[in-house]
Amino acid sequence: MQKRNSVLKVTASMLRDYLVLVMIALLVAVTAIVEPKFMSGANLVNIMRQFGPLIMVSLGMTFVIIGGFIDLSVAGTINLVAVVTISLIQPLGQVPALLVGLLIGAVCGALNSGVILSSGALTQAEALFLTFGMSTVYSALALLYSHGSTMHFWDIQKSKSIFEAIGAGRAGPLPLSFVIFLVILALLWIFQTKTTEGRAISLTGGNKTAAHLSGVNISRAIVVVYTICGFMAGVGAIVLFSRITTAAPVIGAGYETNAILSVVVGGTTLKGGKGSVLRTVMGVLLVILMSNCLDLLGVSTYLQVVVKGAILVVAIWLDNRKQA
Amino acid sequence: MNGKAIGSSLYAIVTKQKAFIAILVMLIGMLFSHTNFYSAYNLLDMLNSTSILLILAFGVTMTVVAGGCDLSIGGILVVSGIIAIKLLDVMPMGLAILIAVLFGAVVGFVNGFLVVHQRTEPFIITLGMGLLLTGVAQQLTDAHPVPAKNPAFMMIGNGDILGVPNLVLIMAVCFGLCFWLMRYTQFGRNLYAIGGDYEVALYSGINVVRTKWIAFVLCGTSAALAGVLLSSKLNTGSSIYGEMTALVVNCGVVVGGTSFAGGIGGIPQSALGLLVFGMLDNVMNMLCITSYYQVMLKGIVIVAIIWLDCFTQKRKREFV
Amino acid sequence: MKTEGSEVILSINNVSKSFPGVKALDEVSIDVQRGTVHGIVGENGAGKSTLMKILSGVYQKDSGTVVFDGKQIEHTTPYQSMQSGLAIIYQELNLVNTMSVGENIFLGRFREMKGMKGTHAKARELLDSIACKVSTTKLVSELSVSEKQMVEIAKALSFKSKLIIMDEPSSSLTSEEMCQLVKIINQLKEQGISIIYISHKLDEIFEFCDIVSVMRDGHVIDTKEKSAFTRQELITKMVGRTIENEYPPRPLCVGDTLMEVHSINTHKLHDLSFTLNKGEILGLMGLVGAGRTEIVRALFGADKVRGHRVLIEGKPTVIRNPKDAKDAGFGFIPEDRKLQGLILPFSVESNISMASIRKFSRLGFLRKSLEKDIGARQVKALAVKTPSTKTAVRNLSGGNQQKCIVGRWMETSPRIFIMDEPTKGIDVGAKYEIYNLMKHIVEHGGAIILISSELPEVLNMSNRVLTIFEGRITGEFDPQKASVNEIMGAALGIVEGCV
Repeated sequence: MQKRNSVLKVTASMLRDYLVLVMIALLVAVTAIVEPKFMSGANLVNIMRQFGPLIMVSLGMTFVIIGGFIDLSVAGTINLVAVVTISLIQPLGQVPALLVGLLIGAVCGALNSGVILSSGALTQAEALFLTFGMSTVYSALALLYSHGSTMHFWDIQKSKSIFEAIGAGRAGPLPLSFVIFLVILALLWIFQTKTTEGRAISLTGGNKTAAHLSGVNISRAIVVVYTICGFMAGVGAIVLFSRITTAAPVIGAGYETNAILSVVVGGTTLKGGKGSVLRTVMGVLLVILMSNCLDLLGVSTYLQVVVKGAILVVAIWLDNRKQA
Repeated sequence: MNGKAIGSSLYAIVTKQKAFIAILVMLIGMLFSHTNFYSAYNLLDMLNSTSILLILAFGVTMTVVAGGCDLSIGGILVVSGIIAIKLLDVMPMGLAILIAVLFGAVVGFVNGFLVVHQRTEPFIITLGMGLLLTGVAQQLTDAHPVPAKNPAFMMIGNGDILGVPNLVLIMAVCFGLCFWLMRYTQFGRNLYAIGGDYEVALYSGINVVRTKWIAFVLCGTSAALAGVLLSSKLNTGSSIYGEMTALVVNCGVVVGGTSFAGGIGGIPQSALGLLVFGMLDNVMNMLCITSYYQVMLKGIVIVAIIWLDCFTQKRKREFV
Repeated sequence: MKTEGSEVILSINNVSKSFPGVKALDEVSIDVQRGTVHGIVGENGAGKSTLMKILSGVYQKDSGTVVFDGKQIEHTTPYQSMQSGLAIIYQELNLVNTMSVGENIFLGRFREMKGMKGTHAKARELLDSIACKVSTTKLVSELSVSEKQMVEIAKALSFKSKLIIMDEPSSSLTSEEMCQLVKIINQLKEQGISIIYISHKLDEIFEFCDIVSVMRDGHVIDTKEKSAFTRQELITKMVGRTIENEYPPRPLCVGDTLMEVHSINTHKLHDLSFTLNKGEILGLMGLVGAGRTEIVRALFGADKVRGHRVLIEGKPTVIRNPKDAKDAGFGFIPEDRKLQGLILPFSVESNISMASIRKFSRLGFLRKSLEKDIGARQVKALAVKTPSTKTAVRNLSGGNQQKCIVGRWMETSPRIFIMDEPTKGIDVGAKYEIYNLMKHIVEHGGAIILISSELPEVLNMSNRVLTIFEGRITGEFDPQKASVNEIMGAALGIVEGCV
């Protein structure tokens, strides 16, 4: 009796732990039955393409959340990086533009960590408001820089082959952006699970005081997580405007909530300390499959926002119950 | 030595009276600007356009004093506004408004369930609730503004009684009501106790769950009321108004001196805090600052204020 | 309203209570007479606090009955028990810091008091009745500890309490404040109110208790009139075993000077200087809040303290943060195990390895097999009882959790080991093992700074004791020579001590 109970308990906790996998399987099965087009090669490639910007931003966000914080500034960072990078292709050439764009992303992230460290903010709530304010500042900078106008690829005379390749190119059967994602994922996974700094980040997220008193450099961990998050937001911005070939200064709106959604749905806890970039991939996959499925079923984009919001609320609620 | 003492007392004043000082700085600064900032018309207009934020802030203050937080008010604001306008076509105005306000109460009830009953961290889950409601608003309006066809409805937000705008009057009534509730009733005092020390409040026989839950319901209700007034004032319902509102209002509440730690602050403090943002808007318009710079300045002000709030707590922690 | 002394106001019969892994109370029975002061003595962990929490309704008992004022009480909440006339004044005070004195006294009864005015007026009356002059509009956060205690007593009186339980009320009072408390206790007694007075200070028990019960390891060992006890008998019953059994033989291997600390100055600490020798256990004695923890935190770089000088083996050492301290050879067991020591959801292994990441990494990459060895080694060396090294440390008992923290620092082979309340809240067996570990550390050339609220622990383990009072060192003693009274006197700031 006791044993069966404990087996049940373990199964239940496994199921809850990997709920996202179960949901992905269910979603795939249901959609494939209702809409045979779903499993077509064209749609699968389409799904891979959609991985693009959101997965980049979410991977960065994963580190911030494992570190016990939150970053609402990614939307502003995306706006800024997108408009600056696209505008620099003409005067500087594409490689310098790309590098400057990535640098701006990292600097924005580092700036966030600077604000957080100097203020001594320790809680997620404080970080939430600070990064929201920073997001507003970055967005305003993007607006000022671009004078509020949208920039297009076709206005650029110089070579922009890199961006075109990121946006639409293929490497064998796979979209190039998907290959880039796989490479970055591998690097980040190694960083998170195999390096001392990755360990320092999860210790910081687990209990900042205990980590500090054990000689872990929590300040450095905070700088690292936010810089990664900013950098990945920059990567996301480049992937995003490359795909849609235009960059407006409001291009990043909504990415912060979608990224948090993907991370939490994947099973990384908002309480900090525990989580994984691989889980985030599952979370993003679920979000993309869902919107793909809802698209195929002809559900309006607005109603999809409702569904996403509902999933976010339920995911946080379940996360809380799991921890308690 | 003496200078140091003056410095530290100055520091204490700045951190405690942030809102008051900010307002004072703006008031003095505007003395030197050649604008008609100091006209009765402008000051009343400023109050009028801040009224809706203030009504939102009163509700939020209750949740923050009780140690919670509500970031879904932006969503409630737009959805209830749209509901009111849509229902105007099919039913009498009073009923439409009532239903819209009740909607806010229902959302507040759900928030209360998640945050109070289930003990979830309020910040991100109410943010998610806001996202959900934004989707609802977009779905209801197809992301286009919906004009109201009822002129009587428009008069609520734009009319005046003896020269005092209706919105200011309604805000004043809300202020009085919330102030009384927080200061002179068992409910209000219990909220302070809960925010001050949850366990002690529980041990003292206060029904902590119910009391805090009610605070969330009231917060949702006041946000919905603000939404109805907003769509009446603009005579349209739209899904885009609420974008920054929730975070700005919560920041304003903190500026006033109500802390996320719970248990301190109050309605007058929050009013002062929100007035900072209202006045900042007004001043920036008066000085003809372009909208992009306005956005940036607001962002900087938010960062500066929260930074100062965190820094004060850090100083307190490190005082050994 | 004097009543017969023999009337029983509270009768506890065969009450038991278990927590996972510990039987906190085992068939406890106590009768309390009306209008008496009933002392309950016992060491930390004897079950006194658990019993009181059952009476006040914070915990629910597993079995047994409690009859209070003629009525059986069953599954009550703290509020219900207060209303029935049973009030408790906790060790960790039960007031809302952000609210005023008056409102705290009538917390949750604002309507009953007919608003703010009534609240403050009634509160004034109550405070006056116990000769407390604190303003009712003052915030509780601005009060001293003894003033807070008076407010708690007023709160208890506001419920027309028939029985007031005081849980170690004297632990943070000065002697003057203590006199005041004694006056109030006698006054309450005259009004026919019974008092349960919990303490482990024998002087207080002999001063004003009428009847004394001794508790040990979850049992009531004896209940007698105060006059029927001799002091020695009381101690023997409290401790239950001879001192030799409780502590390992004191290590005697003190060598040369290892560390010199010069003039630590903060708001709370005033010009503190001391030395630590090799192979020495240095005890820091003092009341809670005297500055003991602040001293070691400053030393370890946990608080931002500047201006003091630290010489280790004659070399000046700068410690700005815990990492510097770790590199300089410090180990640190923090005061609060769960909040400051452990990462509860993490595994035993990662909790043990977290201070020595450098040891199992190369070029910034972790080598998990080495980490596994570290975890396994410490679990074995310290005999940590855990199903596996991958178990979440949350699931371990207090003693085993503490061993994980000890193991974490043993892995870094510290020269100077700071232990702040290392045996707080852990069972006797685990305590003994920790004492043995301390012995092991000093015998291998390390030195220990020991902070403990348990006097016997400090006296039996240390080679030297420094007494701290209000941020100053008030005495230095050899615990083998000095008397307990001398040391306690210095720790309470009464007399200056010397070797």
